Amino acid sequence: MTALIELTGITKVLKGQKQPRTILDGVDLSVSAGESVAIVGRSGSGKSTLLSVLGLFDRPDAGQYLLAGRDISRLPERHAAKLRSSHFGFVFQRFFLLKHLTAAQNVAMALVNGQGWLPRRDRRARILQALEQVGIAHLAKTRPARMSGGEQQRVAIARALVRQPQVLLADEPTGALDTETGVVVIEALLAATERGCGLILVTHDRDHAARMGRTLDLADGVLTERVRA
Amino acid sequence: MRRLSGRFRAALIIGVQGIRARKVRTLLSMVSLFLGVFAVVVVQAGASIAERALLADLELTAGIDGTKRMDVMPHEQAPAIVLDTVRGRSDSVATLAVSAIIGEPGVRPVNEGASPLDQSWGPSQVCNSAGVCEPLQGNAPVGAAVEVRLTAMTGDIRTFRPLRLRSGRWLDFTTMPSMAPRLVLNLEAAKGFTRHQVPAEMRVGGASANLTPQFVGVVDDGDMQPRAYVRLDEMTTWLPPASLADPNAGAELQVLLSASTPAEQVLTSRLQGIGAQTYLSTVDSRKQQRDELALMRLVFLSMAGLVLLIGAAGILNVGLATVGERVEEFALRRAVGTPRSLLAGIVLAETLLTGLLTAAAAIGVSVAGLKVVVALVGESQPFLQGVQFPWQAGLAGIIAGLVAGVVGGFVPALRAAGIPIATVMRA
Repeated sequence: MTALIELTGITKVLKGQKQPRTILDGVDLSVSAGESVAIVGRSGSGKSTLLSVLGLFDRPDAGQYLLAGRDISRLPERHAAKLRSSHFGFVFQRFFLLKHLTAAQNVAMALVNGQGWLPRRDRRARILQALEQVGIAHLAKTRPARMSGGEQQRVAIARALVRQPQVLLADEPTGALDTETGVVVIEALLAATERGCGLILVTHDRDHAARMGRTLDLADGVLTERVRA
Repeated sequence: MRRLSGRFRAALIIGVQGIRARKVRTLLSMVSLFLGVFAVVVVQAGASIAERALLADLELTAGIDGTKRMDVMPHEQAPAIVLDTVRGRSDSVATLAVSAIIGEPGVRPVNEGASPLDQSWGPSQVCNSAGVCEPLQGNAPVGAAVEVRLTAMTGDIRTFRPLRLRSGRWLDFTTMPSMAPRLVLNLEAAKGFTRHQVPAEMRVGGASANLTPQFVGVVDDGDMQPRAYVRLDEMTTWLPPASLADPNAGAELQVLLSASTPAEQVLTSRLQGIGAQTYLSTVDSRKQQRDELALMRLVFLSMAGLVLLIGAAGILNVGLATVGERVEEFALRRAVGTPRSLLAGIVLAETLLTGLLTAAAAIGVSVAGLKVVVALVGESQPFLQGVQFPWQAGLAGIIAGLVAGVVGGFVPALRAAGIPIATVMRA
């Protein structure tokens, strides 16, 4: 069976300094549909860079990136944007909700992005479904300022899920939340994997990492699988 | 096409959301742009109104654009041929102008030679066939009488020259001719009869008797000479057309024709047949006044353009500041798949909508301002009467608003499109 994501020998070098610094050094990674993977590592170890490459924000300097068997290592920006819209969902440490928009309008941001046009009724149905998936449909018309941190992050997750992505990339999604709220957010993310969505979670939190199917360590640009006891 | 439509809608939706979210900034942009768009609208409206006023004045004296004017040189048989050709036609009017003295009997007029009331051109003269001329009124004393140019018409001259009725009524060409000729005076003639109110008698060279005229109205014909308009058939009761066209009495024969009337060719052929000379000219008032206004408009529009540029710089300034504040929003939008072109489109949509809103405000203020000006000084300024806000000014305002929106939004749009997506990762 073809892996959803297949990275082979991915290398990323940080240029523009006196000495070029290798951030990712021949990273190999394979993620299947419905699988959840945690990536842990110290600050500056390259976790966010790896996520940038995975999310097509950045291109690798070397190596191959296959998405469902298709080589997307050197994709032009125009096509990358289309793939980001259709295949990926992103959740960040900060929620990046627009304060002047309601929860529903913030979720709609991923639908009104110039990548195809959905009629208003379909759009509304999709938004409500996404908000229901994370348990905050009742907050659809509420603005972020009137929500708790956990609720705001769940709106961000709903925004990531509304296009029914194949891969969910989460960069420290619980970093700005208390433990209890963090658990709720992780559960919302794991719920997506039950619908066949692959989840790659970058985290510092060992407990959250332990709840993922696999945990990978990134150190000095090298990714290694952590063997669980 | 469908994709473009989707992006266009997305840009509009997000643009409107952006404007609603930043009302104060939008207002600031509008304030900086308002003066520029307003200047363009005012210059365009002023030019259109001035053009209209100038055109109206030119049409009043020269005739409506496209009218053909045929001056027929004195010839014994010419009046009969002209009157025969234009009889019953609505596309041509013949006018015969002679001097007439109206007022106290047996006196010389106060304005000999039908000069303007406050000027003196010397006495009218009558010349015999040997070329010997003598004053029309001999050595009679000056009395309460006014000399006018009497224009006798075969039809309604207003088809070709839009004379403005000031009081009373215009001549009715559908009724039976009156034995007492009905006259419509121009403003200068009316001024004379306001000064000299005496029982009127009208003396015309060659008439079988002195006539008793009826004044029925006053028009503005743009003429500085005292003039009276009369139906030709009310004059021919008292004197033959040939007398009305007597060159020795300073008579003039003229035909006004519409652009495409066949009467012109018939008339030319028949007059050439008897050896009468004709001079044909076409009224081109619009071109004449357009040339006069073009330079003036260019100068004012250049100044307005400069103000508009300053307004666009205001939009640019506010736009750049706004994009700087929204770096994370744009980076996030890129992260969720929004193409760079749409990000640029969102910023441009916002500045274009701001430009359009400003244009609407400037047009609204201009319309209201014009109404106020018309209400305040319209009575004393005839060219303002019945004036409407010119649609060209509205169009110019909208175009100015859109151009300022594009000029002011272009650089912020490029900057928004170039925001690195990794911004959200580093936040």
